[in-house]
Amino acid sequence: MEVNRESIRGFAEASLDFNPLHLDDRYMEGSSFGKTKYQGVIAHGMMNFALITRMMTDWLGPRGGIHRRLETRWLKPVYPGDVVSPQATISKKLKTVKGQWVLFIIEVKNQTGELVAQGEAMAEFPSPQS
Amino acid sequence: MEEFLEKFEKNFWKDWEKRKTWDEIQPGELRPSHPVTLTKEMIQKFARAIGDLNPLYFDEEYARESPYGGLIAPPSIHIMLMFACTPHDDWMKEPGTINAGQSWFYNVPARPGDRIRLVCKALDRFIKKNRLFVIHENVFYNQKDEVICSGRGWTIRPR
Repeated sequence: MEVNRESIRGFAEASLDFNPLHLDDRYMEGSSFGKTKYQGVIAHGMMNFALITRMMTDWLGPRGGIHRRLETRWLKPVYPGDVVSPQATISKKLKTVKGQWVLFIIEVKNQTGELVAQGEAMAEFPSPQS
Repeated sequence: MEEFLEKFEKNFWKDWEKRKTWDEIQPGELRPSHPVTLTKEMIQKFARAIGDLNPLYFDEEYARESPYGGLIAPPSIHIMLMFACTPHDDWMKEPGTINAGQSWFYNVPARPGDRIRLVCKALDRFIKKNRLFVIHENVFYNQKDEVICSGRGWTIRPR
Protein backbone atom coordinates (compact mmCIF):
# COMPACT_ATOMS: atom_id res chain seq x y z
CA MET A 1 0.00 0.00 0.00
CA GLU A 2 1.29 3.45 -0.88
CA VAL A 3 1.16 5.79 2.09
CA ASN A 4 0.44 9.45 1.44
CA ARG A 5 -0.95 12.38 3.35
CA GLU A 6 -4.44 11.59 2.14
CA SER A 7 -4.32 7.98 3.31
CA ILE A 8 -2.86 9.05 6.67
CA ARG A 9 -5.64 11.64 7.09
CA GLY A 10 -8.18 9.00 6.05
CA PHE A 11 -6.85 6.58 8.65
CA ALA A 12 -6.94 9.32 11.33
CA GLU A 13 -10.60 10.00 10.52
CA ALA A 14 -11.51 6.31 10.48
CA SER A 15 -9.53 5.34 13.60
CA LEU A 16 -10.26 8.59 15.52
CA ASP A 17 -6.53 8.89 16.23
CA PHE A 18 -5.79 12.58 15.63
CA ASN A 19 -2.34 12.62 17.23
CA PRO A 20 -0.38 15.50 15.59
CA LEU A 21 2.45 13.02 14.91
CA HIS A 22 0.40 12.03 11.89
CA LEU A 23 -1.08 15.35 10.82
CA ASP A 24 1.05 18.36 11.76
CA ASP A 25 4.42 18.93 10.04
CA ARG A 26 5.18 22.03 12.09
CA TYR A 27 4.76 20.07 15.33
CA MET A 28 7.03 17.31 14.05
CA GLU A 29 9.76 19.71 12.95
CA GLY A 30 9.88 21.39 16.32
CA SER A 31 9.63 18.32 18.49
CA SER A 32 12.23 16.20 20.17
CA PHE A 33 11.49 12.56 20.89
CA GLY A 34 14.56 11.63 22.88
CA LYS A 35 17.17 10.55 20.36
CA THR A 36 14.54 10.14 17.66
CA LYS A 37 14.09 12.92 15.11
CA TYR A 38 11.38 12.61 12.49
CA GLN A 39 11.43 14.25 9.06
CA GLY A 40 7.80 15.37 9.18
CA VAL A 41 4.54 13.55 9.80
CA ILE A 42 4.57 9.75 10.07
CA ALA A 43 1.90 7.16 9.41
CA HIS A 44 0.08 5.55 12.32
CA GLY A 45 1.82 2.38 13.50
CA MET A 46 -1.67 0.97 13.80
CA MET A 47 -2.22 1.53 10.08
CA ASN A 48 0.45 -1.11 9.56
CA PHE A 49 -1.25 -3.23 12.21
CA ALA A 50 -4.54 -2.99 10.31
CA LEU A 51 -2.82 -3.78 7.00
CA ILE A 52 -1.20 -6.88 8.49
CA THR A 53 -4.60 -7.90 9.84
CA ARG A 54 -6.14 -7.43 6.39
CA MET A 55 -3.43 -9.62 4.85
CA MET A 56 -4.13 -12.33 7.45
CA THR A 57 -7.93 -12.29 7.07
CA ASP A 58 -7.66 -12.19 3.24
CA TRP A 59 -5.48 -15.32 3.29
CA LEU A 60 -7.20 -17.18 6.12
CA GLY A 61 -10.84 -16.61 5.16
CA PRO A 62 -10.97 -18.77 2.02
CA ARG A 63 -8.92 -21.46 3.82
CA GLY A 64 -11.29 -21.71 6.81
CA GLY A 65 -8.82 -20.16 9.25
CA ILE A 66 -9.51 -17.59 11.94
CA HIS A 67 -7.11 -14.77 12.77
CA ARG A 68 -6.54 -15.13 16.52
CA ARG A 69 -3.50 -13.10 17.50
CA LEU A 70 -1.12 -10.43 16.29
CA GLU A 71 1.91 -9.01 18.06
CA THR A 72 3.92 -6.21 16.45
CA ARG A 73 6.93 -4.05 17.15
CA TRP A 74 7.48 -0.83 15.21
CA LEU A 75 11.08 -0.47 14.10
CA LYS A 76 11.15 2.48 11.71
CA PRO A 77 8.72 5.30 10.93
CA VAL A 78 6.67 5.21 7.73
CA TYR A 79 6.55 8.54 5.85
CA PRO A 80 4.21 9.89 3.15
CA GLY A 81 5.50 8.51 -0.15
CA ASP A 82 6.58 5.18 1.34
CA VAL A 83 5.16 1.94 0.01
CA VAL A 84 4.66 -0.68 2.72
CA SER A 85 4.33 -4.39 2.06
CA PRO A 86 3.33 -6.79 4.83
CA GLN A 87 4.40 -10.42 4.57
CA ALA A 88 3.64 -13.50 6.66
CA THR A 89 5.69 -16.69 6.71
CA ILE A 90 4.41 -19.86 8.35
CA SER A 91 6.80 -20.82 11.15
CA LYS A 92 4.96 -23.69 12.80
CA LYS A 93 1.82 -25.81 12.72
CA LEU A 94 0.66 -27.60 15.83
CA LYS A 95 -2.33 -29.25 17.47
CA THR A 96 -3.50 -28.50 20.98
CA VAL A 97 -6.06 -30.45 23.00
CA LYS A 98 -8.93 -28.72 21.20
CA GLY A 99 -7.45 -26.86 18.29
CA GLN A 100 -5.21 -26.70 15.25
CA TRP A 101 -2.94 -23.69 15.12
CA VAL A 102 -0.63 -22.07 12.60
CA LEU A 103 2.05 -19.60 13.69
CA PHE A 104 3.41 -16.89 11.40
CA ILE A 105 6.43 -14.59 11.34
CA ILE A 106 5.31 -11.12 10.27
CA GLU A 107 7.43 -8.55 8.49
CA VAL A 108 6.53 -5.18 6.97
CA LYS A 109 9.07 -3.68 4.59
CA ASN A 110 9.16 -0.34 2.82
CA GLN A 111 10.01 0.28 -0.84
CA THR A 112 13.75 0.08 -0.18
CA GLY A 113 13.42 -3.25 1.59
CA GLU A 114 13.94 -1.80 5.06
CA LEU A 115 12.09 -3.61 7.83
CA VAL A 116 9.65 -1.11 9.39
CA ALA A 117 7.73 -3.57 11.58
CA GLN A 118 8.00 -7.15 12.67
CA GLY A 119 5.98 -9.51 14.77
CA GLU A 120 4.15 -12.79 15.07
CA ALA A 121 0.63 -13.94 14.32
CA MET A 122 -1.48 -16.97 15.22
CA ALA A 123 -4.39 -18.48 13.35
CA GLU A 124 -6.77 -21.23 14.39
CA PHE A 125 -8.23 -23.80 12.05
CA PRO A 126 -11.25 -25.23 13.88
CA SER A 127 -11.42 -29.03 13.88
CA PRO A 128 -14.37 -30.39 11.88
CA GLN A 129 -15.87 -31.96 15.03
CA SER A 130 -15.55 -28.82 17.19
CA MET B 1 -22.58 7.68 13.74
CA GLU B 2 -22.86 11.32 12.62
CA GLU B 3 -24.00 12.35 16.06
CA PHE B 4 -21.13 10.46 17.69
CA LEU B 5 -18.57 12.06 15.37
CA GLU B 6 -20.02 15.52 15.97
CA LYS B 7 -19.35 15.08 19.67
CA PHE B 8 -15.91 13.52 19.24
CA GLU B 9 -13.16 16.10 19.89
CA LYS B 10 -10.63 15.79 17.08
CA ASN B 11 -8.33 18.46 18.43
CA PHE B 12 -6.08 16.42 20.71
CA TRP B 13 -4.35 19.66 21.78
CA LYS B 14 -7.51 20.93 23.49
CA ASP B 15 -6.95 20.85 27.26
CA TRP B 16 -3.88 18.67 26.76
CA GLU B 17 -2.30 19.90 30.01
CA LYS B 18 -5.12 18.25 31.95
CA ARG B 19 -4.10 14.76 30.87
CA LYS B 20 -2.07 12.55 33.20
CA THR B 21 1.68 12.69 32.81
CA TRP B 22 3.88 9.60 33.06
CA ASP B 23 4.40 10.35 36.77
CA GLU B 24 0.64 10.47 37.38
CA ILE B 25 -0.31 7.28 35.54
CA GLN B 26 -1.06 4.67 38.21
CA PRO B 27 -0.48 1.07 37.11
CA GLY B 28 -3.45 -1.05 38.13
CA GLU B 29 -5.92 1.85 38.22
CA LEU B 30 -8.78 1.64 35.72
CA ARG B 31 -8.86 4.32 33.01
CA PRO B 32 -12.27 5.96 32.60
CA SER B 33 -14.16 4.70 29.55
CA HIS B 34 -17.69 4.77 28.16
CA PRO B 35 -19.67 2.31 26.03
CA VAL B 36 -20.14 3.02 22.34
CA THR B 37 -22.59 1.53 19.85
CA LEU B 38 -20.63 0.26 16.85
CA THR B 39 -22.34 1.10 13.57
CA LYS B 40 -22.04 -0.34 10.09
CA GLU B 41 -20.79 3.06 8.93
CA MET B 42 -17.96 3.07 11.48
CA ILE B 43 -16.92 -0.43 10.44
CA GLN B 44 -17.01 0.32 6.73
CA LYS B 45 -15.19 3.64 7.07
CA PHE B 46 -12.42 1.90 8.99
CA ALA B 47 -12.17 -0.96 6.49
CA ARG B 48 -12.08 1.43 3.52
CA ALA B 49 -9.27 3.44 5.14
CA ILE B 50 -6.99 0.42 4.70
CA GLY B 51 -8.48 -0.60 1.35
CA ASP B 52 -10.15 -3.66 2.87
CA LEU B 53 -13.35 -4.42 0.94
CA ASN B 54 -13.90 -7.89 2.43
CA PRO B 55 -17.60 -8.72 1.78
CA LEU B 56 -17.94 -9.86 5.41
CA TYR B 57 -17.87 -6.14 6.27
CA PHE B 58 -19.94 -4.81 3.33
CA ASP B 59 -22.25 -7.42 1.76
CA GLU B 60 -25.13 -8.34 4.09
CA GLU B 61 -26.31 -11.29 1.99
CA TYR B 62 -22.80 -12.73 1.63
CA ALA B 63 -22.16 -12.28 5.35
CA ARG B 64 -25.51 -13.88 6.27
CA GLU B 65 -24.59 -17.02 4.32
CA SER B 66 -21.08 -17.12 5.84
CA PRO B 67 -20.16 -18.96 9.07
CA TYR B 68 -20.56 -15.59 10.84
CA GLY B 69 -24.25 -15.34 9.97
CA GLY B 70 -24.13 -11.58 9.38
CA LEU B 71 -21.92 -8.55 8.93
CA ILE B 72 -18.90 -8.33 11.19
CA ALA B 73 -16.08 -5.84 11.76
CA PRO B 74 -12.43 -6.47 10.90
CA PRO B 75 -10.51 -7.74 13.94
CA SER B 76 -8.46 -4.52 13.99
CA ILE B 77 -11.57 -2.41 14.69
CA HIS B 78 -10.27 -2.12 18.28
CA ILE B 79 -7.89 0.57 16.96
CA MET B 80 -10.85 2.89 16.45
CA LEU B 81 -12.77 1.64 19.48
CA MET B 82 -9.85 2.55 21.76
CA PHE B 83 -10.31 6.21 20.89
CA ALA B 84 -14.11 6.00 20.68
CA CYS B 85 -14.55 4.48 24.15
CA THR B 86 -12.21 6.79 26.08
CA PRO B 87 -12.81 10.39 27.16
CA HIS B 88 -10.97 13.37 25.68
CA ASP B 89 -8.71 13.70 28.72
CA ASP B 90 -7.49 10.09 28.45
CA TRP B 91 -3.68 10.02 28.42
CA MET B 92 -3.64 7.88 25.29
CA LYS B 93 -4.80 10.98 23.38
CA GLU B 94 -1.79 13.02 24.51
CA PRO B 95 -0.09 14.59 21.45
CA GLY B 96 3.31 12.99 20.92
CA THR B 97 2.33 9.58 22.29
CA ILE B 98 4.42 7.04 20.37
CA ASN B 99 3.27 3.50 19.81
CA ALA B 100 6.16 1.08 20.37
CA GLY B 101 4.32 -2.22 20.04
CA GLN B 102 1.04 -4.06 20.45
CA SER B 103 -0.24 -7.58 21.02
CA TRP B 104 -3.90 -8.55 20.61
CA PHE B 105 -5.89 -11.77 20.95
CA TYR B 106 -9.25 -12.10 19.18
CA ASN B 107 -12.22 -14.03 20.53
CA VAL B 108 -15.61 -13.20 18.94
CA PRO B 109 -16.02 -10.65 16.14
CA ALA B 110 -17.53 -7.24 16.77
CA ARG B 111 -20.75 -6.64 14.82
CA PRO B 112 -22.80 -3.64 13.72
CA GLY B 113 -25.17 -2.69 16.53
CA ASP B 114 -22.92 -4.08 19.26
CA ARG B 115 -22.77 -1.96 22.39
CA ILE B 116 -19.02 -2.05 23.02
CA ARG B 117 -17.50 -1.66 26.47
CA LEU B 118 -13.80 -1.19 27.20
CA VAL B 119 -12.00 -2.06 30.42
CA CYS B 120 -8.50 -0.64 30.35
CA LYS B 121 -5.62 0.26 32.62
CA ALA B 122 -1.89 0.75 32.77
CA LEU B 123 -0.02 -2.32 34.00
CA ASP B 124 3.49 -0.98 34.35
CA ARG B 125 5.66 2.06 33.67
CA PHE B 126 9.41 2.23 33.31
CA ILE B 127 12.29 4.28 31.89
CA LYS B 128 14.49 2.79 29.19
CA LYS B 129 17.07 4.63 27.04
CA ASN B 130 15.82 7.91 28.56
CA ARG B 131 12.30 7.25 27.37
CA LEU B 132 9.15 7.06 29.48
CA PHE B 133 7.29 3.83 28.75
CA VAL B 134 3.85 2.67 29.84
CA ILE B 135 2.47 -0.82 29.31
CA HIS B 136 -1.31 -0.90 29.20
CA GLU B 137 -3.94 -3.60 28.84
CA ASN B 138 -7.33 -3.37 27.22
CA VAL B 139 -10.32 -5.70 26.99
CA PHE B 140 -13.33 -5.01 24.77
CA TYR B 141 -16.69 -6.63 25.57
CA ASN B 142 -19.99 -6.70 23.69
CA GLN B 143 -23.46 -6.24 25.20
CA LYS B 144 -23.56 -9.94 26.14
CA ASP B 145 -20.33 -9.50 28.13
CA GLU B 146 -18.51 -11.71 25.64
CA VAL B 147 -14.88 -10.78 25.17
CA ILE B 148 -14.34 -9.42 21.66
CA CYS B 149 -10.60 -9.01 22.00
CA SER B 150 -7.94 -8.29 24.55
CA GLY B 151 -4.64 -6.57 24.04
CA ARG B 152 -1.54 -5.05 25.46
CA GLY B 153 0.28 -1.99 24.20
CA TRP B 154 3.63 -0.37 24.81
CA THR B 155 3.67 3.41 24.39
CA ILE B 156 6.36 6.05 24.88
CA ARG B 157 4.97 9.02 26.76
CA PRO B 158 5.82 12.57 25.66
CA ARG B 159 6.03 13.88 29.26
